[in-house]
Amino acid sequence: MSNTPVIDVERLNVRYGDFHAVKDLSFQVQRGEFYALLGTNGAGKTSTLETVEGHRPATSGQVRVFGSDPRDRRRVRPRMGIMLQESGFSPDLTVKESIRLIGALSGRADTVDRVLGIIDLTRKAGTKVSQLSGGEKRRLDFATAVYGTPELVFLDEPTTGLDIQARDDLWNAVDRLREHGSTVVLTTHYLEEAQQRADRVGLMHRGTFHREGTVAELTRTLPAVIRFELPPHAPTPPPQAVRQSDHRYLVETFQLQSDLYSLLGWAERNAVELQQLEAGPTSLDDVFRAIGHE
Amino acid sequence: MLPIAHSELIQIFRNRLVLVTSLVMPVAVGTFFISRHEVFTEIGGAGYIAAMVMFTVAAFGLYATAVTTLASRRQNLFLKRLRSTKASDSSILFGLMLPVTVISVVLLAVMMVALASATENPDNIGLLVAGMLATIVMMIGLALATAGLTNSPEHAQVTTLPVSLGVLAVATWVGISGTEDLTWLKRLLPGGSATELVSNAWVGGVPVSDSLVLLAPTLGWMVIAIALATRMFRWEPRR
Repeated sequence: MSNTPVIDVERLNVRYGDFHAVKDLSFQVQRGEFYALLGTNGAGKTSTLETVEGHRPATSGQVRVFGSDPRDRRRVRPRMGIMLQESGFSPDLTVKESIRLIGALSGRADTVDRVLGIIDLTRKAGTKVSQLSGGEKRRLDFATAVYGTPELVFLDEPTTGLDIQARDDLWNAVDRLREHGSTVVLTTHYLEEAQQRADRVGLMHRGTFHREGTVAELTRTLPAVIRFELPPHAPTPPPQAVRQSDHRYLVETFQLQSDLYSLLGWAERNAVELQQLEAGPTSLDDVFRAIGHE
Repeated sequence: MLPIAHSELIQIFRNRLVLVTSLVMPVAVGTFFISRHEVFTEIGGAGYIAAMVMFTVAAFGLYATAVTTLASRRQNLFLKRLRSTKASDSSILFGLMLPVTVISVVLLAVMMVALASATENPDNIGLLVAGMLATIVMMIGLALATAGLTNSPEHAQVTTLPVSLGVLAVATWVGISGTEDLTWLKRLLPGGSATELVSNAWVGGVPVSDSLVLLAPTLGWMVIAIALATRMFRWEPRR
């Protein structure tokens, strides 16, 4: 039983009329895993996520959540919390009333005050939703998703519109959920967040997986990067460095450590100051950019 | 279901626009009819007043309010949010419709008592209640169907007009001219047989079995409305 994946998607297809949004997509998310579903706009992330959440039917293929059909709400929903991309709260209800309502319908036990505290909304408890800022609405949405510490949490663009402090609060709360053993599924446009936290990433492009794997697996296929600028009249740098503009140079390498060492050695020997020096592994951003060029 | 109904009740009382259509407007019209009961009794009898009051409450207090709130809850994705929980579709709809229905029933009961004390007691209370309940269920069904065609609460001001004005027109026509001629047409139009039934129940003088037959068209409209609702109701806004 414990080996059953929390989410099991097999050859999922979603169509809207002529538009084939998701094509033969298969993936699994294991218990306790942090899985990030990423992709370009219109790649099919939202359609996939909504099917897994049970918000829309699959055109074909099979989706299982905790071994059940996700559209079987009574069975599945008490074990999952959903943070929607657009909040969907009534403007005429207060923060506290909204959490009490969704909490009561979640099928889990918790207190409104506890979840208000998690994301620093206690001061806003009596405020109507219509008077909240965009970031406060996202926090309210998060609070309802984690009500009763569900085993599975969906976070659809959770940090859009949040300031740094609120973002940190949210990720701290997610860390605590994970200590509890919760499984997390994330979509985000902030690739850094996925890079720092996700165990595995599914990278969607045109309805299917462009790549799937750990962050290291995804970035390993692309070279690491060194960037620097040279002052005018500096000697010619080592041949790996490609000139980008007047003074800017770029090195793409699969041996970051040794190439960086030799570049620094060259600069030292020639008494050249490398300005704006940056060196690092490929980021997910670069993986994304690479999709666009293929 | 009850948490949804509770939150819906809070929302109705916090939203002035909804409060005006669901409470103030039917109360004003009902009070007008009952306070001028001498004039209207002369036109169509106390049964006619009962039917007009019933359809004012059912068309505005219930039907138009229900369409407006459903469109608004869908537009701001509140329906989708409710469907993210373990609540079933039917319990969500029951919960959303319960407060506005209870308000309408209470309003109707109060006005019927006021009408009875101003004029005469209804001849057959059981029949009157049956006719009114059937009408209410029919209007809820029509509201769910109309909500499927309504994109926003503002749009509801237009989409609710055919049904709400239609049933009031039919009730006026049937209530004043009776069903001596064009009998079947009048009875088959939505609200027509309900008006005749309520009028019979109030005034009396018609065998109960004859009146019970009049429930059939209302129940028929109820079935049609619910069938339309299951086809047309949408949970999420069009993209």
